[in-house]
Amino acid sequence: MAVNVEDVKKINPLVPIKAKVTRIVQETPDVKTFHISTMDDQKPFDPMPGQLGMLSLPLVGEGMFSITNKGENHIEMALKEVGQLTKALHEIEVGQEVGIRGPYGNGFPIDYCKGKDLLIIGGGIGLAPVRSLIMHCIKNRDDFGKLTVVYGARSKSDLCFQEDLFENWTKVPNMDVFVTIDREEEGWDGHVGFVPAYVEELAPKPQVTVLCGPPIMIKFTLPSLQKMNFSDQDIITTLEMRMKCGIGKCGRCNIGSCYVCLDGPVFTMEQLKDLPPEY
Amino acid sequence: MMKTILKAKLPEMLEQLAKEYKVLVPAKLEGVSRFAAYRENLELALDENVTMPPKDIFFPQTEEMYKFAAKDQSLEIEEIPQDEKLQVIFGVRSCDMKSIDCLDQVFLTKGFSDPFYQDKRDRSILIALSCVKPMESCFCTSMGIDPQKGQGADIQAYDLGEKLAFEGITERGQEVLNKVSGMFAEEDAAIPPMGEFNLTANVEGVPEKLKNMFDHSIWDDISRKCLNCSACAYVCPTCHCFDIASEVRGEDGVKIRCWDCCMFDEYTVMAGGHQPRPGKKERVRNRFLHKLRYFPERYNMLLCTGCGRCVVKCPVNLDITNVIKKIKEA
Amino acid sequence: MSEMTKKMQEIAREILVKGEAEVVIGWEKGTFWYLSPPAFIDKPEDVQRLVWDDFCHNNLSKYLVDLKNHEGKAAVFVKGCDSRAFNRLLQDKQIAREKVVLIGIPCPGLLDQDKAKELGKNSDLPKAQKCLDCQYPNPLVYDYYLGDKEALNEVAATKEAADYSDVAAIEAMSPDERYDFWTKQYDRCIRCYACRNVCPACSCRECVFDQTRVGWIGKANNSSENQFFALTRAMHVAGRCIECGECERACPMDIPIMLLNKKLVKDINELFGEYDAGIDIEGKLPLGHFDKNDPEEFM
Repeated sequence: MAVNVEDVKKINPLVPIKAKVTRIVQETPDVKTFHISTMDDQKPFDPMPGQLGMLSLPLVGEGMFSITNKGENHIEMALKEVGQLTKALHEIEVGQEVGIRGPYGNGFPIDYCKGKDLLIIGGGIGLAPVRSLIMHCIKNRDDFGKLTVVYGARSKSDLCFQEDLFENWTKVPNMDVFVTIDREEEGWDGHVGFVPAYVEELAPKPQVTVLCGPPIMIKFTLPSLQKMNFSDQDIITTLEMRMKCGIGKCGRCNIGSCYVCLDGPVFTMEQLKDLPPEY
Repeated sequence: MMKTILKAKLPEMLEQLAKEYKVLVPAKLEGVSRFAAYRENLELALDENVTMPPKDIFFPQTEEMYKFAAKDQSLEIEEIPQDEKLQVIFGVRSCDMKSIDCLDQVFLTKGFSDPFYQDKRDRSILIALSCVKPMESCFCTSMGIDPQKGQGADIQAYDLGEKLAFEGITERGQEVLNKVSGMFAEEDAAIPPMGEFNLTANVEGVPEKLKNMFDHSIWDDISRKCLNCSACAYVCPTCHCFDIASEVRGEDGVKIRCWDCCMFDEYTVMAGGHQPRPGKKERVRNRFLHKLRYFPERYNMLLCTGCGRCVVKCPVNLDITNVIKKIKEA
Repeated sequence: MSEMTKKMQEIAREILVKGEAEVVIGWEKGTFWYLSPPAFIDKPEDVQRLVWDDFCHNNLSKYLVDLKNHEGKAAVFVKGCDSRAFNRLLQDKQIAREKVVLIGIPCPGLLDQDKAKELGKNSDLPKAQKCLDCQYPNPLVYDYYLGDKEALNEVAATKEAADYSDVAAIEAMSPDERYDFWTKQYDRCIRCYACRNVCPACSCRECVFDQTRVGWIGKANNSSENQFFALTRAMHVAGRCIECGECERACPMDIPIMLLNKKLVKDINELFGEYDAGIDIEGKLPLGHFDKNDPEEFM
């Protein structure tokens, strides 16, 4: 039985359950996606798009990651190799038993987005958290309006989820995918340039924009969005802070009086304006 | 009418209770006073509040969460059974009673209840003890606390000088008193008036004022002498941040949680090296904003009880009452 | 206002007005009469905050580590122990001499804060233990000197031989007794790192105890980790500890940290010859160089 956010409150939310890695996809040289199921081949829990999970290799440590997708019997997490834990996770093979706990956080405002045209902007590994939203919209295609994805990375090999970008998502009705890389390179005949400029060039007319990527991308994309006359409520992003507990107790992921693990990681621009710029 | 007992008879009463409950009392141990399990000849610390607050009873500095064993690809996770005995905690001052309310807010509300904390909290029967003479570093009344009435107590004890008086507040508290009822005299007793406070702080309007002071220059000024140690946080009855870490021996390990502090670099630094609070200024600001603005915003109460421990223990006398004064004057 | 306080304020004003330094680090009155914490003075009109009294304990040279990468100059008041700390930092190339203006103050020995708190204002207070042990009450290096030089020589002449009777008492214990003694002391350590953070010898850019991801030390608070912390720190400051006693004063749990440091000072003296850290900055560090005559029984 997969647990949802209400169930996790009834069990000890700080103790992981045992799970196993059933599939590993090498997305880019330093990003891998892990498919995780319980020992009896169930979803470890039932996350909403945008929620987080705490994945552990107990001998090394545990870390909070966004859940990029859920299947019938598994959840997916895409991890970039940046530190000790992600390095160890990049070395494991299918069949590895791991600890997992969650789901944590608020997730994307699905109900608010229903029936609306969505623009989803991602940069680098920043496509990981929004992928769960894209997958949700595709599975429930009729609930949402036009879907536009603008995604960029440093180079072709740094593009995550290439099978989605170039195959799966191109076949989805009423969905456009625009991909760009920072610099020209051999074998790439697609768009070249930074995400913010590309968004301005494409001038899409969505009702809600979701963006996720490195702070520099967010910083330069916001003015473009403001030019497009979005209200702050219709600009949505996700934040990252160091996390340990996942349930708003341990303290470290606070931004002002909000805890990113509990009140986030998804925030609207309207909410961010009330928070100190300390992330 | 109150139930009274001579202070000299208190050990006898505690002895009696210890037969039934785990009994924790304020004690003078080597170099420090703190709550300790009652035992014969333990020197009680009843003149002043204890150096270390009672928070570690519910939230120990180091606590084992679960065990694990990992070999090749396999993993086992084993929960650790908790103690089940009821515990009576005698002699908690009003400031520390309030701090337990603060900790309850953190660990038991906002969607998730922390099972490790809740278990110890549920098993606890609290005997608050009234104050007669404030220490020179006390300022609880400035924080809206009545030093003679502990909020959330199961039993309120009053210091009458030679004697102690007890008043059962909750059913659980009454039950504890019933176990030792033979030791009490019933008499009318006047609670001695509270002495004058040496230290005060005017927090009126401070949480609201701080909403617009994130970028104020006072944080540079206030943080300069700070050493970024955690003496203030670790002696604070309300500071509750923790870290989760592993203790690994070969293929076995235990997951522990330990006190942590927002003064440390490692507290917020991320795996890729990004540090949202890189220096003294950002950390000191976060500490005081947490106590005086963020916590009131989230839980509708200050995260300071005026116990004065940080005022005494800070190696550079970074005094929160002075910080409050500077905020008011800014 | 004491004569010395007046002199302090005058010199601080002069330094700021002339622009010799952009900040003056001294002491000011704290919350209670027996507290005189550090003060940072930027403006001439703020110099009246500065004081000199019996409780100016903080070793101000520590703050120079913060200013390592700072552009401007800082002026710092130094007692004997602060000046030794300054010399040590200079010797370790942690600070540039030309970026600091030192104002020396002869120190008559400060009073015990804990006793002051306990006994009250109008009592006969003992000197702080660290001051009773002090061999160098006068500043060893300074650009300005407050006080008369005659008195300086007088105080210097009266310095007593170092007293290691407290260390000897520990040495006289059996290994088991000694282990019990230290276990009891460090079992109450809360690892707040106040001792480290107040210590002028602790100037590492990244402390070994902060490298939690590397795993040198666990975060758990228990006898084993606490003792590892205590011993590692004591060994690390050995030969560099200038015996200002700030670690022990800062410790919220009243752990006799200086006893450990003094034991190492005594051992170094016995093994490598008499050595006081922070006196002669040209000389070689006893644990920082190899000498063919070094004892090696322990190798």
